[in-house]
Amino acid sequence: MSSLARVSLSLARREMVRFFRQPQRVIGTIAQPLLFWLFLGFGFAGSFRIPGMENVTYLEYFYPGVMLMLMLFSAVFSTITIIEDRDAGFLQGVLVAPVSRLAIVLGKVIGATSIALIQTMIFLAAAPVLGLSLGLGGVVMVVGGFVLAGIGFSTLGFLLAWGMRSTAAFHAVMMVFLMPLWMLSGALFPLDNVPTAMKAVMLINPVSHALEIIRAPFYAEPAALLSDSHYLLALAISVVWAVGGLALSMIRVNRREIGLAPKVS
Amino acid sequence: MIRIRNLTHIYPGSRKVAPHVAVSDLSLEVREGEFAILSGPNGSGKSTLFRILCGLARPSAGQVSIAGFDLLTEPARVRDVLGVVFQSPAVDKQLTVAENLAIQADLYGIPAAEYLARRDEALAWTDLGGRLDNRVETLSGGLARQVELAKVLMTNPRVLLLDEPTTGLDPVSRRNFLEALQRLHHERGLTILMTSHVFSEAEDVDRVAIMREGKLMAYDTPQALRAMIGTEMVVIQSRDAKVLAGRLESELGLTASVVGDEVRLAETENGDSLPLLEKILQRYRPDIRSISIKQPGLDDVFVRVTGAASGQE
Repeated sequence: MSSLARVSLSLARREMVRFFRQPQRVIGTIAQPLLFWLFLGFGFAGSFRIPGMENVTYLEYFYPGVMLMLMLFSAVFSTITIIEDRDAGFLQGVLVAPVSRLAIVLGKVIGATSIALIQTMIFLAAAPVLGLSLGLGGVVMVVGGFVLAGIGFSTLGFLLAWGMRSTAAFHAVMMVFLMPLWMLSGALFPLDNVPTAMKAVMLINPVSHALEIIRAPFYAEPAALLSDSHYLLALAISVVWAVGGLALSMIRVNRREIGLAPKVS
Repeated sequence: MIRIRNLTHIYPGSRKVAPHVAVSDLSLEVREGEFAILSGPNGSGKSTLFRILCGLARPSAGQVSIAGFDLLTEPARVRDVLGVVFQSPAVDKQLTVAENLAIQADLYGIPAAEYLARRDEALAWTDLGGRLDNRVETLSGGLARQVELAKVLMTNPRVLLLDEPTTGLDPVSRRNFLEALQRLHHERGLTILMTSHVFSEAEDVDRVAIMREGKLMAYDTPQALRAMIGTEMVVIQSRDAKVLAGRLESELGLTASVVGDEVRLAETENGDSLPLLEKILQRYRPDIRSISIKQPGLDDVFVRVTGAASGQE
């Protein structure tokens, strides 16, 4: 096994072990989106009608969005541990070890994405209850979408957390930056009838495109989607988001604190 | 083994804070197999120097080589031979001792076939036997430190850097930790550089460096540093220290000060204290409980070296 894989998987496994040793964290990250989904789903049930999708209940409309929210929360809570690791000293120990800097990023991202995926799979089991059905191809596409979104969110979290010294600051950034990204993704309401400015934001928002590739397989055959330019564009943007996030995170980790050059006198 | 040449580190500062020179044109060498201690008052730049040595910060100027590898151009080679013990232990408290050690084995690419043997050898230096499946958070501070030591030893480093590793330990744990370190130094021939405030830890080491305001003020063996002060002091314990001090001043013309129940005479040149002691003993025998000559400790050297620098400015 190459050392990159060994180190990444070792660090990822640590994330999982830590996660499952904190039952509150397990319950919290699943229960919150679940409550959100049920309360909003039943609450808006009577008043929510989408033009052209009249037979879709709000519970069903919100379903992919709430899984994406779970993805966001899970990735964010996983990357917040970077700040704790730095505080506690564990991160320093990893930084002075002879390991590739990419492995440090991958360890966190694989760990965060896996934890998020496990939780999302529990949600995915609710699909038949909503009358949604997925073939094997559909499941692969949805899970693939989650993996891309998981990498995208966790690298975003990674980039934000790396330079931060307090978890409180991270929570603040999450509320004003990450939550709006999700809100303006079409997860809560469709993109069609919103002011133009907001629509523009939603279009450049990578989370909208991740949502698109997660929602689409529930309503179309895989073969049809793979020849749909709309879907392919969303897929491409999601891939760029994930790969770009990984690249930027690696650059960030590589950047060491550098002393100011002395003045030549 | 550790060679630092003309090292300077300047923190960039910001619009409100002026750039700060933390390390200034510092040169220092720790030879192979030496145990050196780096000390200095808070803010003297030793933490910055430590961060540079373990590769967490890039200096503004100067060269550092460790085990023959340049730290700036070959950081990966340096990481291979370097073991670092930080002030805040680099262990995951939520994991067990065994889990922490397994992660370390992965980080340093220890082959699976060798892992158990190397782990057991490293554990033999510690008191962690039987605690492998305990979570680190349930261990005492001293044992948690030892987890880190075991972690580092497992990787067979040639150079060990430690940043105030005994901070927060009780005296027994501190002594155990230092004893293990001394044995490692002797038996494995490890080159060790450790920062420390506690001078009782420095008495047995090969060399002591004292930093102040980013500069190296002194770097020598503990004996040579003590000789640098060049003075000693007669200390007398007496039933009534004040009365005795008064008599010594009026009758012998000495300068005496009272600290608790001790009378301390003014420092004398090396060798002058013994005749003085005999003279005092003859005349004041009934008033004296004990009398001795006090050699300067390393903390006296420290105060002298770092204090003298502030006087010059």
